[in-house]
Amino acid sequence: MDAASAAQNTGQGTELAGKYLTFSLGNEGYGVGILSVREIIGVMEITAVPHTPDYIKGVINLRGKVIPVLDLRLKFNMEHKDYDERTCVIVVEVQGQTSPVQVGMVVDSVSEVLNVSAGEIEPPPSLGSSSETENILGMAKVKGEVKILLDVNRVVGEGLLQHLQS
Amino acid sequence: MAAADKPLSDLLDDVALKILMIEPGDLSIVGELLELIEKLLPGGAAADTPVVIQQMAAAFKGVLEKLIMGELADSAENYDLLGQCVIEMQESARKEGRPGAEIIARFCANMKQIGFSLEPEALVGSVNAAVTAPGDTKDAAIIEEKSAVVQAQAPAASEPGQGAIPDFLQDTDLLAGFIEEAFDHLESIEVNVLELEQSPDDMDIINNIFRPFHTIKGVSGFLNLKTINRLAHATENLLDDVRNGKRPMDSAVIDIVLTVGDALKSMVAGIKDVLQNGPANYKDTDISGFLVSITQLQNEGDGAAPVEVVSVSAPDSPPEVSESEEDELLPDETVAAVVPDKPAFAKAVSGSGAASLRAPQSQATSAARTAADSGTKKIGASIKVDVEKLDALVNAVGELVIMQSLVRQNKLVSRIADAKLTKDFSQLTRITSELQRTAMSMRMVPIKQTFDKMIRLVRDLSKKSEKKVDLVMEGADTEIDRNMVESIYDPLVHMMRNSVDHGISTPAERVKFGKPETGTVFLRAYQKGGSMMIEIEDNGEGLNTQKIRKKAIERGLISEADSLSDFELNNLVFLPGFSTADKITDVSGRGVGMDVVKKAVEKLRGKVEVQSQPGKGSLFLIRLPLTLAIIDGIIVRVGSERYIIPTIAIQESVHPEPKNYSTVHGRGGNLMVRGELVPIIKLYEKFGVSSTYTDPCEAIVVVVENEGRRRALMVDELLGKEEVVIKNLGGIDVPGVAGGTILGDGRVGLILDLAGVIADNTD
Repeated sequence: MDAASAAQNTGQGTELAGKYLTFSLGNEGYGVGILSVREIIGVMEITAVPHTPDYIKGVINLRGKVIPVLDLRLKFNMEHKDYDERTCVIVVEVQGQTSPVQVGMVVDSVSEVLNVSAGEIEPPPSLGSSSETENILGMAKVKGEVKILLDVNRVVGEGLLQHLQS
Repeated sequence: MAAADKPLSDLLDDVALKILMIEPGDLSIVGELLELIEKLLPGGAAADTPVVIQQMAAAFKGVLEKLIMGELADSAENYDLLGQCVIEMQESARKEGRPGAEIIARFCANMKQIGFSLEPEALVGSVNAAVTAPGDTKDAAIIEEKSAVVQAQAPAASEPGQGAIPDFLQDTDLLAGFIEEAFDHLESIEVNVLELEQSPDDMDIINNIFRPFHTIKGVSGFLNLKTINRLAHATENLLDDVRNGKRPMDSAVIDIVLTVGDALKSMVAGIKDVLQNGPANYKDTDISGFLVSITQLQNEGDGAAPVEVVSVSAPDSPPEVSESEEDELLPDETVAAVVPDKPAFAKAVSGSGAASLRAPQSQATSAARTAADSGTKKIGASIKVDVEKLDALVNAVGELVIMQSLVRQNKLVSRIADAKLTKDFSQLTRITSELQRTAMSMRMVPIKQTFDKMIRLVRDLSKKSEKKVDLVMEGADTEIDRNMVESIYDPLVHMMRNSVDHGISTPAERVKFGKPETGTVFLRAYQKGGSMMIEIEDNGEGLNTQKIRKKAIERGLISEADSLSDFELNNLVFLPGFSTADKITDVSGRGVGMDVVKKAVEKLRGKVEVQSQPGKGSLFLIRLPLTLAIIDGIIVRVGSERYIIPTIAIQESVHPEPKNYSTVHGRGGNLMVRGELVPIIKLYEKFGVSSTYTDPCEAIVVVVENEGRRRALMVDELLGKEEVVIKNLGGIDVPGVAGGTILGDGRVGLILDLAGVIADNTD
């Protein structure tokens, strides 16, 4: 995560090099820094929490701990897809207001852990509005595929915090 | 402490705040003030303090010390004057340490009025004096300051390895243990002393006080905490005299034991500070005042003529408390320390200070032996556990309980009809629930600890203000989250103080109003509606709503046209603008710092309000969330979701009959419950879930009460009653939901926050 945030400031690919857990949403491949990933679990029953945005699916019981779960498809305004046996929840740890918090992210399927080198990383594309790319650390081209490297702290952490403040 | 990095202005603000909080007779705050001021002194934490302000701080410190020693009157006027002095220091700070002569003159005038002679030249001249060696400034006060500082530091320079940098930091683990232990001991001392007041002749209680002092003495000696060691030792000697019947246990002894307890507490807190923030924060506390009073008391008890402090002539040279005699207090020499001849006094103080900095090796070893006897006894009584580990344990146990019930409900398993299996299962259930209870109880502590401190507070306050006040405590065994205990203490003290100081009037006045002479303050704690409630009720004068209204209009908090209920008016006292009012006492004495209380309570995500009846008294109500507490709840189903309603809030549940159900404009239904119209809240609408029933007459309603408001919550079904642990939702915080819990099937259920559910609905 340190590497990730440092990269935010410098925009250099070198700091972004490292291991990423890759997963897919529709046809797109994504990656999150392996250091922030705590575990991967199958989808379990989620308890909905009222008065929250769509993409916050609710909360689950992670071995006695209640953690929020958000649907990355909905978060990125992608089409909803019913959960199936390949659907996974990636539990990541991000910096909360006071202490680290764990949050689950629902993804279509988890692929593999990739070692991404600095030369394979390019800066995020400009999609017109910055709000859509600010979650993206960079684009990695590995084995002929493009993986979108996500800044977990922004996707998850701020998503939740923004909601709390509103 | 963060204070160490604070800029000068912030430090001065803190000082100003403390001055505001101060009450005559409350020496502990003066002690805190002293600590703050010392940061401004040369070599203090605030390094960039201008020299003039350092000098002002030195004078200020001098005054505080005299207040503590009782040489200056501990009166409200003096504190007001000190407040003025702080303002002048603040002004000087704003002028970047180059205050005009006028400010200096005002500062000195205020100091003089307090009774602390200080010449303007001493401050201005000090700019030079401070650079050179402590010169011969004419003013005795300044000499006193400087010589005390310089002499105390001198041994440090001359004796490398043993000086101002405390040498007790060698074994930090032991030290940390001692700090923790010492706090416990001091707490028990205080409680026992207060008990002793009721039955002064109870030897057991005296022993209970004696022992902790003995332990503190032993361990502190072992750890080379000399000042603490000496003070504890002296007090122990005094108590020993009492034990041996040499002198009676009277209020003088009780008072000194209490004040020594306070002093030790702040000293231990100081050590803790050193441990956390490094030796630079170390400062020695001057205990000579205590030693003198103790010796005096001892001498009285011995039948010797009471020591007339004034009549003892000052020895010309500073008394050397020699190392071999460190263990024995020498009455004569210490008495000399309070001879009001200032230079001599200064020397005496610094002399003893210097002595206490030197490490008598033989004494340390002998104390080590005592520590070995007394110290080992305590170890094993309790251990410190990381809260995270505790949480992990509680979670794991919770999961265990759930897994167990899942296994039990497994279709194959439940088909086995075996008596042994059934028996084993119920045995397992017993064990797990016992385990759960124990794990749970580890995080909670009874609020008794905090309440017990109030006994002392009320005692002191009533004594000082010459009022008769009974403190009645209820529900002291109500358990409160460990983390909350500390944060709730300060607001509680503030409110108790308000109740005693301003709520209860003097015996004479009370009689005039036809009330019993003795006022009563109730302190209650209980759980209600998933909240922890703390009530402070007094049968005093109550709030004057008329005056509050007037004041609020004056302050522009409300307008003339606003019509507010008495309840709303009373609660205006919590507004920040309100309590800064100059003449607080006009508003029935209420409102001092009430916004501070409110802020502190809100930080705990709680609420505070006041109810008052003029002439009858007022009731302050603190409502705290039970972030980690267990609550008893009814599980209800709405569609596919399950919610938990705190049982305490539930009055009844009914199947509404059509004749009792009415709507307004086809919306907002009401239900007639026992002759009263209760608004219905449809949970499925509120939480946006699809439910089985949409007609209240098919569904079931749960009548709940929260803060005097009744509502009927419409649900599909009641599923059962369960004790659940509130867990936060991992960062999600929404109105109407107090938290989540893990239900029997391992899924998360949401616990309703009725205040939120109801409040949201009325908006």
